[in-house]
This record gives sequence, structure tokens and C-alpha cells, in this order.
Amino acid sequence: MTEKNRETANVGAGLWKGTGMWAWLLHRISGLVLVVYLFAHIGVISQGQAQGQAAFDRLFRTLESPVFILLDVALVGAVLYHGFNGVRVLLMDVGVGIRGHKTVYYAVMGAGIVCLGLFAVTALAFIV
Amino acid sequence: MREEIIQEHEGGMWPWLLQRVTAVILLVGLAVHLFTLHIVNLGSLSYDNVAGRLSSIGFIVVDFALLGAGLFHALNGLRMVLLDYGFTGGRKTALTVVIWIVGLGAFAYGTWALWPWLTS
Repeated sequence: MTEKNRETANVGAGLWKGTGMWAWLLHRISGLVLVVYLFAHIGVISQGQAQGQAAFDRLFRTLESPVFILLDVALVGAVLYHGFNGVRVLLMDVGVGIRGHKTVYYAVMGAGIVCLGLFAVTALAFIV
Repeated sequence: MREEIIQEHEGGMWPWLLQRVTAVILLVGLAVHLFTLHIVNLGSLSYDNVAGRLSSIGFIVVDFALLGAGLFHALNGLRMVLLDYGFTGGRKTALTVVIWIVGLGAFAYGTWALWPWLTS
């Protein structure tokens, strides 16, 4: 086990408080949600091969009900959170934004909310 | 700001690096996937839609990149979470082996699932 000293910010689970803790915790929770969704997604798409075109199209009519559209928006929210916070993590890995990690966090969250708005407006057309 | 002892990454150097590489692939691939399917190419998803997309080499590349990178990133991420809860020594090795079997199985299943569209 090699060890070395490195300057780090209060990010991740290293110090259990503040913005870094919440960013890390939500990254982990959204990640686990997305793991479950990925397998569900593969399962749904495989119904074309497993049951044929008619069954596949019937399944997608069910998945266009308002409940599933709202779940889709929540899913996009999880993807955007995990992706945009992931950008922040990748930047810190290359040494960018360690000191200003909270500023970077709020900036990427702002960008994520704008994107979520775009998808939510699009989703609304399927519900109303 | 503080100094802290950074230990060798628990999950290993290659999984750490591949987690970053697949993250970048997913950022680009999912941007394409979500934007083209839900913002640009709006409408009901159907068997014929999927066939139409998968008739172009661009979407075949994106879909397989998403399948492979998505499975690696998801399963290695799950592995990293589980490693925080007592998987050490032999159990850690067993976890890694199980994760690889699940991942390769899911990649094969995903390829089988897309096959009718690829060959039509």
C-alpha cells in the first residue's frame, strides 16, 4: 500500500460535513438508481427480440402513460445530477477547481437545472 | 483546504482510470442519446423508430458505446460502493469476478437484444 501526501479539498466522504458530503452522497444515491435503471432499460429494449414487434410497441404505449413520463423526468434529473457532478469530479482529478469546489458545484448544478427544464417542458407535451 | 494521506485507490488503478474514461464516453454518448431521442426526434418510441436509428452506423456506434461503457461504469461503480461495506480479501476477489460475469453476460444479452434491428 503506497501512501503520499496530497492537498485535497473537503470533498467526498473524506470529511463528513458540508457541501462536499451532500455532493458525494447524492452522487452515490443517483449512481445506484442509475445502475438499477440501466438493467431495467436493457430488459425493456430486449422485449423487441424476446417477444417481437407487436408486444414491443404495446409495451411502449404503456410506458407513455403520465406516471412513466414523470418517472422519465425524475430519471433525467438523476442522470443530469450524476453527469454534471461527475464533470466536477473529473475536473478535480486533473487539479481544476479544488479550492473553488463549492463554486464549481453550484455552477454545474445551475447548468443541470437549465437542462432539466428543457427536458421537463418536452415531457409536459406528453402529459397535457 | 487540508493535507491528508491518500492511500492507493482501493478499487485498483485500472478500474479507477477506466471509470474516468467511461465517464467521458457516457457524458458524450448520453448527451447524443437523450438529445436526439427526446428533444430533436420527438414522437412515440416504437420498434420501427429503433430500426430506423439502428440502420445508421453512427447510432450503432453510440448504442454499443453506451452499452459497454454504461455497463462498466455502472457495475464498477456498484463494486466501489460495495467495497465500502466489508468486501476485503477473498470476498473482494469474488465480488470482482461476479461483477465481471454479470457485466459480460449483460453485454452479450444487450447485443442479442439489438440483433433483430441490426440485421433487418
